[in-house]
Amino acid sequence: MSITVRNLVKRYGQLEVVHSISLDVADGEFVSLLGPSGCGKTTTLRCIAGLEDASGGSISIDGKIVSEPEKNVLVPTYSRDIGMVFQSYAVWPHMTVAKNVAFPLSVRGVSSDEIRRQVDEALGIVGLTELKDRYPSQLSGGQQQRVALARAVIGKPKVLLFDEPLSNLDAKLREGTRVEIRRIQRRLNVAALYVTHDQEEALTMSDRVIVMKSGHVMQAGKPRELYHEPVNRFVGDFVGTASFLPVEATGDPGVWRTADGTSVCVRRAAMLGNSKACQLMLRPESVSILDDDAQAAGSNSLKGRVLEASYMGPYTEYLVEVSGGTLKVHSQFDFAVDAPVQVHFNPDSGRIVPGE
Amino acid sequence: MHEAQSAVPIARKPRLRWDREVLLKVIYAATLVLVVLLVMTPLAALIYGSFRSSAPGVEGDWTIANYANLASANLLSTIWLTLLVGVLSAVFCVVIGTAMALIIHRTDFAYKNIITALIGLAFYFPAFILAMAWIILGSPGGLINFLFRDVLGITDGVKIYSVAGIVFVTILHQVPFVYLLMRGPIISMDGVFEEAARAAGARSHHVLFRITLPLLSYSLLSSLILTFVLAIEQFAIPAMLGLPGHITLLPTQIYLLVRFPPTDYGLAAAVGLTLAALTSLAILAQRRVTRAGRMATVTGKAGHLRTLPLGRWRWAANTFCFGFVFLSLILPSLILIYMSVIKWYVSNPFLAQYTLRNYEFIWNSADAHKSIWNTLIVSGVGGIFGVALAFLTSYFTVRLKPPSYRLLDFTASLPFGVPGMVMALGFLWAYAYLPLPFYGTLALIIVAFITRYLPYATEAIGGQLVQIDKSLEEAAWVGGATKLGGLRRILLPLSLPSIQGAYFLLFMAFFREMSSVVLLFTSNSKVISISIWGFFEGADWGLASSFSVLTTLIIFGVIWLIVWLMPAARRV
Repeated sequence: MSITVRNLVKRYGQLEVVHSISLDVADGEFVSLLGPSGCGKTTTLRCIAGLEDASGGSISIDGKIVSEPEKNVLVPTYSRDIGMVFQSYAVWPHMTVAKNVAFPLSVRGVSSDEIRRQVDEALGIVGLTELKDRYPSQLSGGQQQRVALARAVIGKPKVLLFDEPLSNLDAKLREGTRVEIRRIQRRLNVAALYVTHDQEEALTMSDRVIVMKSGHVMQAGKPRELYHEPVNRFVGDFVGTASFLPVEATGDPGVWRTADGTSVCVRRAAMLGNSKACQLMLRPESVSILDDDAQAAGSNSLKGRVLEASYMGPYTEYLVEVSGGTLKVHSQFDFAVDAPVQVHFNPDSGRIVPGE
Repeated sequence: MHEAQSAVPIARKPRLRWDREVLLKVIYAATLVLVVLLVMTPLAALIYGSFRSSAPGVEGDWTIANYANLASANLLSTIWLTLLVGVLSAVFCVVIGTAMALIIHRTDFAYKNIITALIGLAFYFPAFILAMAWIILGSPGGLINFLFRDVLGITDGVKIYSVAGIVFVTILHQVPFVYLLMRGPIISMDGVFEEAARAAGARSHHVLFRITLPLLSYSLLSSLILTFVLAIEQFAIPAMLGLPGHITLLPTQIYLLVRFPPTDYGLAAAVGLTLAALTSLAILAQRRVTRAGRMATVTGKAGHLRTLPLGRWRWAANTFCFGFVFLSLILPSLILIYMSVIKWYVSNPFLAQYTLRNYEFIWNSADAHKSIWNTLIVSGVGGIFGVALAFLTSYFTVRLKPPSYRLLDFTASLPFGVPGMVMALGFLWAYAYLPLPFYGTLALIIVAFITRYLPYATEAIGGQLVQIDKSLEEAAWVGGATKLGGLRRILLPLSLPSIQGAYFLLFMAFFREMSSVVLLFTSNSKVISISIWGFFEGADWGLASSFSVLTTLIIFGVIWLIVWLMPAARRV
């Protein structure tokens, strides 16, 4: 394992913001920490980097413990051998591109010939070779981002850490840079931990995603698992788009009752524990919408009314009011606002999750 | 994995690197101890002294008589007069300074560049030289009374040795300061508020009085308080204009109590603490105003500011601005140059006999050389130490924030509320009890100056350190630099403009300072301000004038040199 975090706790005075988190990142693996702002993901990353002192638990990088406050081990950042890309890029304005990228080597006393060789290599990887004598103020945001990336990967650090590196770029540039970061990380075959609040970024880039909320890990898994098999309403809602309806168990396995008593058949369910309040989760693309008088397409039909219609191009997004709540539905067909409709879903596409 | 944890080897601690972080801790401890000693020694000594019945170092008793004596009619009227001078000066300064800033930066005033440059020079024109020039102009036998009496036939001439005279010269001296304070807020105001008012149908004067000035109210109030503080703690102007007419303000009262028999050091300490209490209260109020003002709706987005046409008021604006720089800079300079090259005083320059003997005297005077040399050492070397201490202080209080950084922050900002005269009195009390051969040395003067101006330099540097994104430093740590390495390689170069600015500020303040030094100098540690005052007191106006002319040339030369060498310094 390149990064191993066990029972990490971070407190600010009385306030505990990270509650005993454990996670692993394997060699060459790309893992995202995903969650809303204030969920502790950046704090976790900064504890791994040593920019914050952890309050408890242990962190090891490449098999060496770098943080274990119980045993008075807190290795300073400069000896952790990491590369990090900051949200604000943090490219030093008083140094040229080459000087910025060379910094990690020059503070470690590498010979200048070697520095020059590695700077050229790193700038080659990010495609900035021609700009090496420029100052950051002469670069665009995207170019500064690449300088930060080159500075993070030079000297082949044991792990790469990313703190929302794309949030300051515009949408078009962001997509290209995602692919770029992934390409470089694969080429260097280095473990990467990537903090983001953008679920699309996490889903498209990562081998695995760790969803966090209020300092706890909610779920960790491959992007597909998170999308299709969220363990609770929060994960289902945060990863992708979903609608939720309150349902009750009927006693029959796989059969649930909605607010107005309609029975629905749902084959997949998360671990519910003792949770009485269950939610039926439906992704908008797995629900179809039919005219009210159309012949019922099967058992899983709910009567409703169109509240809103937003034309999106490839499909129209409808907000349909049904008993117990509203559903988001994507459809290529046209329905008028206020029209009575029925919605239908496959027993394999819905999922029962515990409520809040 | 969890079970295997204990088998994981602990990362090797590189010995040398740890030692460098220890060095940083040592530097912090040294900074904290030094700042606390510098600031607390004079203050503690002053409080101690205010409860003693005798002079420093002399056997005495504990007493509260010094405080009881504060209530004497004499001292109460001094306090009252000090407040009066402070309020009058502050109000006039803020009105005039703000009006000038508005004329220069918000109208189509034609001579913007030359007036801005002249105000800049007036800002650095030392108070003791300005006061001297105005005494020459306004004294009973001076040029103005000559014009009034012999040319215009007015027998009731001007009385410069008066409260009005003190207020008048104080205004001339401090308006450039107000102008510099108000310029920033006036330039950086968001024009959208004025546009909204114009769109709502307001005329120019409505916009000015109902939108622009109210939006500037926090800045105006803050400038008013700061000018008030400067006016009540200043020494040179009330000393030169007040003492001949037996008008004493609190700072000159301290001077009289310490330097003229019968001396009363204990009462001086009590008076000093009273003055410090007044200035501290005012500074606290000013800080609250500034903090509240940050929430106001001045966004700092420049642009959109409409230039108002002066139209038929152009002549008034021109008269006002040129009139001010004429009175505060040009006329004083001219009269000093005139005085320095004539044999004896004649009001009519066509009847005067010209000579260079005053300059020759200074050229050949070892005493004058020594005081110039002393002043350059105090300003040049003292400035370096002051900036170094201020940089470390602001690095620790703004960036690193180790435990107890609040103590450092609080202590370093205390001298804001302590007038130079009071600080010097504290050092005077303290030196008697310290086993250090300090009295009468330049070192003591440098120590007093650094202590007095530490918060100004700390604020100038800290203001820029705050704006340097934290992640720039963190990126250096991630890249393998220690905290000290990040400080040296990232923060130091990035904050260089403010460091240069703080050095400029300290150099200029030290060069022109009179109040902190007047209680501490001996014949060996005279600085220029003391020498010039000495010539002047000895009624040798010609020598005093020629020395003032030279000093002013040195100051303007240094400004030119510093601006040329460190272009960034001017912006702070």
